[in-house]
Amino acid sequence: MAAKLKNAAAIVGAAESNEIGYPEERGPKVTSLQHHIEAIRNVSDQTGIPISDIDGIFSAGWSSQLAEYLGLKPHYIDTTSVGGCSFQMHVHHALAAIHAGIIDVALVSHGQAGWSYRGAGGRRGNTAPGEIDPGIEMSMAYGAFGAPSSYAHAMVRHMHNFGTTAEDFAHISVVTRQWATLNPRALMYSTETNPFGGPITVQDVMEARLIAWPLTLYHCCLVTDHGGAVIVARPEIARSLRTNPVWIAGAGESMGHANMLEMEDFTATSASRSSATAYEMAGMGPGDMEMAMIYDSFTITAAITAEMLGLAPRGKGYTLWKEGHAAPGGRLPINTNGGGLSFNHSGMYGMQLLVEAYRQLSGTAEDGVNGVEGKQTDARTCVVNGTGGTLSTTGTLVLTADG
Amino acid sequence: MTYNKPIPPQGQHTKPFWDGAREGRLMLPRCTNCNRVHWYPRLICPTCHSMDIEWIEASGEGHIHTYAVQHRAFGGWGEEVPYVTAYIDLKEGDRMMTVLRGVDPMRPEDIKIGARVRVEFEAASEDTHIPFWRLAED
Repeated sequence: MAAKLKNAAAIVGAAESNEIGYPEERGPKVTSLQHHIEAIRNVSDQTGIPISDIDGIFSAGWSSQLAEYLGLKPHYIDTTSVGGCSFQMHVHHALAAIHAGIIDVALVSHGQAGWSYRGAGGRRGNTAPGEIDPGIEMSMAYGAFGAPSSYAHAMVRHMHNFGTTAEDFAHISVVTRQWATLNPRALMYSTETNPFGGPITVQDVMEARLIAWPLTLYHCCLVTDHGGAVIVARPEIARSLRTNPVWIAGAGESMGHANMLEMEDFTATSASRSSATAYEMAGMGPGDMEMAMIYDSFTITAAITAEMLGLAPRGKGYTLWKEGHAAPGGRLPINTNGGGLSFNHSGMYGMQLLVEAYRQLSGTAEDGVNGVEGKQTDARTCVVNGTGGTLSTTGTLVLTADG
Repeated sequence: MTYNKPIPPQGQHTKPFWDGAREGRLMLPRCTNCNRVHWYPRLICPTCHSMDIEWIEASGEGHIHTYAVQHRAFGGWGEEVPYVTAYIDLKEGDRMMTVLRGVDPMRPEDIKIGARVRVEFEAASEDTHIPFWRLAED
């Protein structure tokens, strides 16, 4: 299989930052970020390839931050960080992505102020000790605490642009809870699994404790433990196993920003782009989707994403829930496990989406472990969309049942 | 009273901003190639990728882009709940975050997206004066 990658891409330029080694002996200290940016500017000048032509970004831990800093919206984001060999792997991954036709121009970037910011404390995150991320520098004074603080701004802007109300979004919580009452492994399955479990009403959502107006507690996802795993294999193997394969018909990814400060449109995410790629690959569109698994960190996340995926018109995402289409028995079941809102949310919920999508499309959503009668749908296609950060990054899959 | 909320550490590439803030002036980075202002500050223009960036003194005027009311907070901010956070569209372009002053957090429906705001500075420490935005009196 791997031989198909031979000569599928080439390295076309290579450059370094302006001051390497011990920059302090010649001038001011240099930050890791500055090393990245100078090297990128220099390789662009060397090759004549404009930075704006870069559509895949590869770095050891920096990728979304670098893309945002450069104002890029790449379609391939790889931030593999496994030590000094990461960059050889980035080239390998870029080769595969280019061979697959996903991207044309890959940037592999490195910046590490190993000397300038040497000293106590060791390496923290991407920056060396003492380096300040400018986006954080310019937003940390302003009293935002965690995801609800940020996402509330998106809901307010949606209400302003489209005339939606907090009650409209509350229907998402209510319907998602209906699915949770069909899933014994959901935290909010019943009052026996949690004092606040079992069915809820729009009034319950509206009267719950305010976290960040207009978000009440029931507009927000759970905080739980979770472990999950999936295996992806090539078709010959997939067909030889005792399990039912679920086919990856389409896949796409993109990003808008890393810091919400850089979110251009507070009512839109890059899922419009990631899903466009996935639908095109699959040769299908939103009208072909028979169910959806949508990251619901907050009600507003699910509503906006439904719009970005083309499942509802702009401003009308919430109607899928309010009109019952997303509910058990509806025409477009959404978040059939009970969602991040009522099933489980461990911080990064993307795996939970994948597990449930596999179970639904392989006909095992009532496998005796995770379901009771009523959760299994007859869907043969499913769009799965994960959202990361603060409505920042998105990955979309179009999955289909076997046969 | 001592400022009891997080004070940003001053970064390696933002000295003109903090120097201006101490004098009550809002300084913004602008690309000399495409003339666009960007925020947060960068070594490279996020639009045209020129590295020739200058700092200009801004008008200190803007409009509310969106907002929220924080009811759950910790530390010094925990003592001030509820308070209104907002994103401000700058007259010169691009957007800043803030805690919005001169609005009633108990009447969030009365806050208008698009309303005019002006910058002011609070001396969080001798070195660091933090910009906050306040609803403009009409």
